[in-house]
Amino acid sequence: MKIFLSLIFLCFFTVGCAHNPVPSSGAFPVKKSITQPVLLASASEQNPTLSAADAVNPVDEEYKEDEVFDNYTENAVAEEKVDIADPLEPVNRAMHQFNDKLYFWALKPVAQGYKFMIPEPARISVKNFFSNLAFPARFLSCLLQADINGAATEAGRFTINTIWGIGGLLDPSSGKELNLQTQDTDLGQTLGVWGVGQGFYIVWPVFGPSSPRDSVTIAGDYFLYPVSYISPWYAGVGVRIFEEINATSLRIGDYEALKEAAIDPYVAFRDAYAQYRFKKIKARKAKLNPSAPTEEKSASNNPALPKKEE
Amino acid sequence: MFKKFFTVNCFVILLAVLFIFTIRSAAMAAGLFGPLQTVSKETGGLNTAIGYFYHEDTYKNDVDHTVRLDEIYSQAAYGVKNIWEVYTRVGLANMKIFDIFSSMDASIMTDQDNFEANWEFFGTIGAKAFYPINSILGIGAFIQGTYYFSDFTDTVSGTKGGTPFITELKVKDFWDVNFGIGVQAALPYGIKFYAGPYIYYSGANVSMHSYISVPEYYLDDDTIRNKSIVGGFTGLDIPLTKGFRLNIEGQFADRVSAGIAVSYIY
Repeated sequence: MKIFLSLIFLCFFTVGCAHNPVPSSGAFPVKKSITQPVLLASASEQNPTLSAADAVNPVDEEYKEDEVFDNYTENAVAEEKVDIADPLEPVNRAMHQFNDKLYFWALKPVAQGYKFMIPEPARISVKNFFSNLAFPARFLSCLLQADINGAATEAGRFTINTIWGIGGLLDPSSGKELNLQTQDTDLGQTLGVWGVGQGFYIVWPVFGPSSPRDSVTIAGDYFLYPVSYISPWYAGVGVRIFEEINATSLRIGDYEALKEAAIDPYVAFRDAYAQYRFKKIKARKAKLNPSAPTEEKSASNNPALPKKEE
Repeated sequence: MFKKFFTVNCFVILLAVLFIFTIRSAAMAAGLFGPLQTVSKETGGLNTAIGYFYHEDTYKNDVDHTVRLDEIYSQAAYGVKNIWEVYTRVGLANMKIFDIFSSMDASIMTDQDNFEANWEFFGTIGAKAFYPINSILGIGAFIQGTYYFSDFTDTVSGTKGGTPFITELKVKDFWDVNFGIGVQAALPYGIKFYAGPYIYYSGANVSMHSYISVPEYYLDDDTIRNKSIVGGFTGLDIPLTKGFRLNIEGQFADRVSAGIAVSYIY
């Protein structure tokens, strides 16, 4: 059964998702893990043994502090393994359970009803609208990463989508003609690019998987997201809930599939999150410094992780 | 209606009559008509635009009054087969009516001569159809209607024979409909030239509240209409890069109006 599911997911991840794989700025944990093709591989391998070659990392010095990842090439596809310290595991597991129940008992049923009533093009337009609203955080992140090209792209996207995309409901910028793609970055990634390690694993209630470093994203998104300034406060919360319901309606089934495929969903999501964030930051670094080596290796000096056997 | 007005206050009547004459004279066409042929892809698709339209018109009688509207709008349109298109617009418009508050009665002094109302929302819907005669020429027709969701309001204060007064003028339920036909020619570099006549019809309710010293007088609404006034329009639709197009258009009634829009074709 595991082999069968693994094959299905290998096909799924190879082909890609039906929807935009870029996660929105929403709150729930599933969105940040469903798009990663390497999640399942990491889900079943919690404590990989490191090779001697892994002891040197010329690129990501900061990951020596708190992450272990293992590069290996099998089946002609390189997969990387990144672990994250989890000293709060009992609390995190409780929060994971809470978020899981929140999803299955509240968010999913509402999203299913919403999906039944609202056609997909309209829901995609709503998603585009909120994505356009989240422009300030992406723009500032690009600037803080000295990614002037990315900041200009974001500014151009925002202008074009707001004016010719009917307030952001449509996304002409992503079309073939303009080809201005969303800069998939946030403040947590900015800190990562600066060299800040992600620290240990945290599962926030409602907000989902995070780390001390990436929790900055939650705070940053709050202050840089216009919806946060809607008054009264509960109207803003209502808008955020609507945004999340809309986003969930576009990916119902992804979370369930990943959960069912994992032996221990908590571990799977934790590893998936660590790997997801690592790849994001790696991609940002590669974009900002194309001449840097693309292959990264690191040893774990994290005391919270098991020592590798010499 | 006018008898009732006279029983209230003569200078208010004077203002109202001037105002109504002015409005009746005004051509209230809202926004560009655009090229007669849709710019959407032949297989069908959306196009969106933003536009600015400067509109001016004059009533010529004993006293000339000029009405000016500045409009900015966003448009979404759907067209198919280079033949037909439906579109909708949402925008903001301000209104200025020149010399509406000036009085020929020397005993009336006002603090301003012009009616000026700030940006108010309006919505437009329209449709157009096109019949190509050959690869260069074609004829087309359009119908376009606009409704202003918000009221245009301004207040004038002054004195009449030393007695202070404040009068508020409000233009409510302002709407118009335009119908036109025209010819379109395809020029080199994908430029489209179009021109033709149009007719329009508009109406609004005008209300006045006159605050004379402390007592307050409420006057009934009056309905104004603008019937079968003919104008002409001409414009160019110019392709830009990366799916954008530029539309420049002039409209000619009592005075010249003009607008510009940039559209994006999906």
